[in-house]
Amino acid sequence: MAEIIAAIDEGGASDLLSDAIAAMPPVASSGSGSLGPFTAGYSVQGHFTSGSVDLIAPSTVRIDHLHFDWHIDLSFQIDLDDFLPTFCIPQACVDIPCVGRVCTPRICLSWPTISVSVPLDDFAEASADFGINVSLAGGNWKVQIVVQNVSQLQFGLTTAAVLGLIAVAVTPILLLIPFIGPFIAIAVDAIIATIGIAGLTGFLGPIISPFISGLKIPVYDQPKHFKVLPASGPNDPDVFIELDSVSADVQHSNEDELVLSVDISP
Amino acid sequence: MYLNSDALDSRALRYADCYGQRFMREGTFHYHVMPNGAQDVNLERPYTINVSQRKRSGKMTQHSVALQWKNHEFIPDNQKIDVEVGDLVVWNCSDRNAPPYEIAGEKEFFASARMLNECGFSHAFGVPGTYEWGDAHGSDVAGIVHVEELTCESRSDLSRWRAQLSKAALVMIADGAAKPTEVRIVVGQTVYFAIVTSKGMTITDKRLIGIGVVCPPKTSKPAAKRKKGRPAA
Repeated sequence: MAEIIAAIDEGGASDLLSDAIAAMPPVASSGSGSLGPFTAGYSVQGHFTSGSVDLIAPSTVRIDHLHFDWHIDLSFQIDLDDFLPTFCIPQACVDIPCVGRVCTPRICLSWPTISVSVPLDDFAEASADFGINVSLAGGNWKVQIVVQNVSQLQFGLTTAAVLGLIAVAVTPILLLIPFIGPFIAIAVDAIIATIGIAGLTGFLGPIISPFISGLKIPVYDQPKHFKVLPASGPNDPDVFIELDSVSADVQHSNEDELVLSVDISP
Repeated sequence: MYLNSDALDSRALRYADCYGQRFMREGTFHYHVMPNGAQDVNLERPYTINVSQRKRSGKMTQHSVALQWKNHEFIPDNQKIDVEVGDLVVWNCSDRNAPPYEIAGEKEFFASARMLNECGFSHAFGVPGTYEWGDAHGSDVAGIVHVEELTCESRSDLSRWRAQLSKAALVMIADGAAKPTEVRIVVGQTVYFAIVTSKGMTITDKRLIGIGVVCPPKTSKPAAKRKKGRPAA
């Protein structure tokens, strides 16, 4: 029988995990991925807030509505030649008094490649099952819960809304391109259709998912050998104890509880 | 300040611009085509226009010279052309990745950056807006071009618009005045500025006067590597 046993119910576990998640630093990553036919660079950062905790014996902590607020800066290049027809300004002639007819040549235009930057803010929610991991590392006992299974991610914005934001970001860039005016609607529609909902989902999912699937929430962190009482005189030195073993699990009695058991020795 | 990439400036010709010069005397006229502002740095004039006596009476003949931007140089498709007195030569480079350029002749009358007599400059307006233009060399010649926006909601709209594009508006400049002073066109249409007489002028968006010449936005397309050597004269 362990010398020290600490137990909290689901309400207590919710508070504990909520505090632990709030104390975690923001997470970030950057890289590139396929956004439909485009290769988009991204820089993403975000932070978690806890949901409701469900303890499931013998060793599962389930968090429903685990919430991840994220911000992503997307940047990608679009070669407008892929979307717009070749466009020529026809020869234009004018009759100049005393000179005669003067004609400009036919001018054919190739469309430029544009760079698009799109900042997006959204959240993702998932329900995740965590296992309990106890380890002794660097002289410290650590208990953390580690994701084992994640339900499908639910994004806050609909993908159609995100595509709308991309359209909003593309339009002012297009407006600066000479001669594109009449083709703007065609270009925006074509670009958005090319990215498509599938392309966007396929892009955001792999970026956001690793933050959740790799989530580890610290629950307990204590030195194996630590002082419990300070010295109070020359004949009364510091008192240390040794945490010989630590275990954690979910136990079901009248209710489900997260239980931490510790064996100690002087 | 509103400043779009559709720069109206005869000092810095771009893909939607043409410069035209009539040759009113016999002779051999050498010139160069180079990035704008380089005429005082690069004194080479490798290309030639031979102007001979007029053999036929009647209307002038137009000769078009297409410029190619290659290996950081502008190359005319015809580096030596023969024309007759009174003929017009028109230059254009339709490569939108080419830098702004100028035509620089040996003689004072023959320069796109300072147009004197019997010459012209055309610009196809690609961005809607109101363009107040003036002379960067300080004369009072000025005018306004209103470029109206167009939305193509159907194929017939598109056809109608494309038909409009083939009509140019004409602004005549003589004796220190432009006529008409205001023209109204749709986006994509061309305005031809015909300079009959002047003391040496430009057609320049007033927003560009005094701030130099605006370079076009960079594209992602890599520039070609420069090769050694110059084009044959």
